[in-house]
Amino acid sequence: MPQLELREIQGIILRGYGELNSACFLLLGIDDAGLAKPWLRTLALRNSEDKPQALDSCANVAFTPSGLKKLGLPDELLGMFASEFTGGMTGSSHRRRILGDRGDSSPEHWRWGGPHTESVDILLMLYVVDEEALRSFVEQHTGVLVRQGLRIIERLDSLTLPGRKEHFGFREGIAQPGIEGYGRDGVTGNTVAAGEFVFGYPNAYGQHTSRPTMTPDQDPRGLLPPAPDDPARRDLGMNGSYLVFRQLSQDVYSFWNYMAAAAPGTFPGDKTRACVALASKMVGRWPGGAPLVKSPDADSPQLADDNDFLYVRSDDADGLKCPIGSHVRRSNPRDSLDPEPGSDRSIEVNNRHRIIRRGRAYGPPAAPSMDPGDIIGRSDDGQERGLHFICFNTQIGRQFEFIQQTWLNSPKFEGLYEDDDPLIGDRGGTEQLPSGTFTIQQVPVRKRVTGMPRFVAVRGGGYFFMPGISAVRYLASLK
Amino acid sequence: MSHQESLTVIADVGEGRVDALKRMLGTIPGHVGDWHVVPFAKLSRVHFAQLCVLDAAELDGRRLPARLGMLTTVDAPLSEHLDDLSTICAEGMDAVFSHCTGYPAAPERSPATRRTFLQDRSLKSAAVHMNRRGRTVQQIRQEEALRRELGAFLDAGDFAGRSSLDVRNQVIAFVRGRPDLHWALRLTEPPALGWRVKNVLHAVFYALLALLLAPFALVCLPVFLWLLRRHEKRDVPDTSAAPAPAVLALRDDEDYWVHNPFLAAGSFKPGVFRKITSSLILAVADYATRHVYNRGSLSGLNTIHFARWVRLDGGRRMLFASIYDGTVESYMNDFIDKAAWGVNAIFGNGDGFPSTVYMVGKGITDEKAYKRFLPTRLVHTSVWYSAYPHLTTKNIANNEAIRAGLSADMNEEQARLWLKRFGSGNQLPESGWAARMLDALPWDRICRNWN
Repeated sequence: MPQLELREIQGIILRGYGELNSACFLLLGIDDAGLAKPWLRTLALRNSEDKPQALDSCANVAFTPSGLKKLGLPDELLGMFASEFTGGMTGSSHRRRILGDRGDSSPEHWRWGGPHTESVDILLMLYVVDEEALRSFVEQHTGVLVRQGLRIIERLDSLTLPGRKEHFGFREGIAQPGIEGYGRDGVTGNTVAAGEFVFGYPNAYGQHTSRPTMTPDQDPRGLLPPAPDDPARRDLGMNGSYLVFRQLSQDVYSFWNYMAAAAPGTFPGDKTRACVALASKMVGRWPGGAPLVKSPDADSPQLADDNDFLYVRSDDADGLKCPIGSHVRRSNPRDSLDPEPGSDRSIEVNNRHRIIRRGRAYGPPAAPSMDPGDIIGRSDDGQERGLHFICFNTQIGRQFEFIQQTWLNSPKFEGLYEDDDPLIGDRGGTEQLPSGTFTIQQVPVRKRVTGMPRFVAVRGGGYFFMPGISAVRYLASLK
Repeated sequence: MSHQESLTVIADVGEGRVDALKRMLGTIPGHVGDWHVVPFAKLSRVHFAQLCVLDAAELDGRRLPARLGMLTTVDAPLSEHLDDLSTICAEGMDAVFSHCTGYPAAPERSPATRRTFLQDRSLKSAAVHMNRRGRTVQQIRQEEALRRELGAFLDAGDFAGRSSLDVRNQVIAFVRGRPDLHWALRLTEPPALGWRVKNVLHAVFYALLALLLAPFALVCLPVFLWLLRRHEKRDVPDTSAAPAPAVLALRDDEDYWVHNPFLAAGSFKPGVFRKITSSLILAVADYATRHVYNRGSLSGLNTIHFARWVRLDGGRRMLFASIYDGTVESYMNDFIDKAAWGVNAIFGNGDGFPSTVYMVGKGITDEKAYKRFLPTRLVHTSVWYSAYPHLTTKNIANNEAIRAGLSADMNEEQARLWLKRFGSGNQLPESGWAARMLDALPWDRICRNWN
């Protein structure tokens, strides 16, 4: 197993910066590449070597195909990137269909990244400890970059909600893959080959995923490392990753109003308890984070960050504790899949479809406490809020898009009929092929709730390439 | 109840008629599920239909004309299907096949001449996989309607604290009270006795034949393996990639419904050795799909509704067609993760296939090579029809088990398992012992590390 080059891998990929509560994502356009390159050359980028301290400020950078082109990357090398990346998130009707970007969420309505908005070239990601520090850190960057041939297309601010929750009121970001060669997390069946997330290392099939490599004469200053699987060539992808960005707007009121209408007939107890019970079944964890597999009847603070469980081997093959169609179960089925659910083989198949998630919330909380009890029953304040969903993977088609289509949007996941993901499903159903149903497996008979509206809409998005540190310097040196 | 049959009609397209034909066929995105030219939906025994154009090609220095392919899967008898096509779909057949050489001129068109044309150009499949032999279109549709009715009944009741047997009895009472559902209280009839007898005889005869030839085969095996490896070492995998726009266009045909049509064509590797090997493998595949993999699983894949292998051009080329659940990305990964050995053995005789080692090793476990190679052999399905585009193989099998459960004797535990089927239908019928043994092996690991 080759050692991960932590100094070369941008820090957000492996570190995540959980210690830094405030973030800002700047979507930039390149007006003058000649001026932008010196900026890029001197941009201080955080790597993955050290865990950030509370007073650190961290910056990372990623590019779209148009950004790489404007910096002068030849078409020959651009063509060696994956077709998902070069074609773009909105690049074909097929991709829109499998991602569920239809209706209100179709790219024509997007605020950024759509066919009618300015083309984004660069994503600059800034992380610091709090809002005050963020203000000055962002100012420091924007002050420089506007003089360096760059334009701010969109500024996306993010925050950390109390209890590290997302806006519906559930603790999130708990389950991440363990990365081979980067400190195991001790969770059974959770360690995944590094090459699934960072180029230049063996992936889950023991191969080096395709990425741009070049002859040495295309890298006259010798900035790039040799390709591990082809040492005669220089590796532009090494230590880099694809970054998927989706701005997901969450309709918190619609979500809890639906629970208020559907839960009382489905779960016992007062309205709040019933609503929380139903919503937790949909999530697969309680608001505090405890997984239903381990704590089926009530939230449990001791299990807030627990990720050490499977489904079949944890005695929940039938979904009686954590429903088969719940969000966490279908976005990472662990040991539930064919062949032989519960086997190591099943886990291996699952682990060929994993992502590292680095999303951040945006918009004001619906209630300062983020306790569902305080959110339920509130009237819509008209504020926009949601998640800047960000994830890393090296094969967008086999990882992010596969999860989105085959596991989340498909109403047929694991033998279900009409159930797309209860939280983020696209409700793409028709009369003949309905969706928006959620089934709660029970003895003697399952319960189900139907007619769920779409709770999460897409407001923008794009596929980016986050290069290794040396590759950033190479891009800055292009003629 | 009847078994299913597959019809593959391959007809030469007339000189200069290809563009007009393609225009008429259009593309799947242009007429999703609603192609008016041939009204397949009117034929109540058609499961699936595909129309495609195989472009003109060069093979062994010969020029092969463009061909029109029509592939259907129907409930037996096939002769009635040919009659239906020549009568109910007469206009459509005329519109489509009048682009082909040999189609009767307008004044000579009659049900009989159309039928003769289709029959003369129909090719026998070398092997056919059916998710479940003998499950008719009518049964599949009826059982889905039943599941919806029973689902609504269960939604409306309060069964908390009841025993599973008690709930099941209430379900049965509900069905008894609904004369329109009384059919569900009887089991489906098995395929016709004649067909079943022939099927058993086929199984026994070829098993005995194999046993008889086993000593001879064993003697030949070392030589065969030596020759095989020698050929494999000389094989040159095709490392070219399909043009990006072509791949994009193929993808745009997909994922309107829960299953997709898949169509690929390629030539066999040249030479006598490959000819014999591929014939042997296809014969084994034919036997396996009839008698081993006949309960939902095809070498570990349970998402395939139908698949067929058809030899073209005097056995020099092969057409593979299937209808599968999910996206092509999931289909390819399923192949690698679960069925690499089967795919390698069958398609490894194809020209340009990723390098194999002793037939089942390596091959498509080289994910990069496989995902680059596959699009170069894919063929556009221009038109496709599914009689139940909203159902997966798992849904269909689950619906069947729900219906069968209405008339079975059950204890409390069996009733609990039966009721579970309304919550999620992931329990597939168990394969026969041979299929179970084969599927239990970790083929992805074995094939990848096979040297």
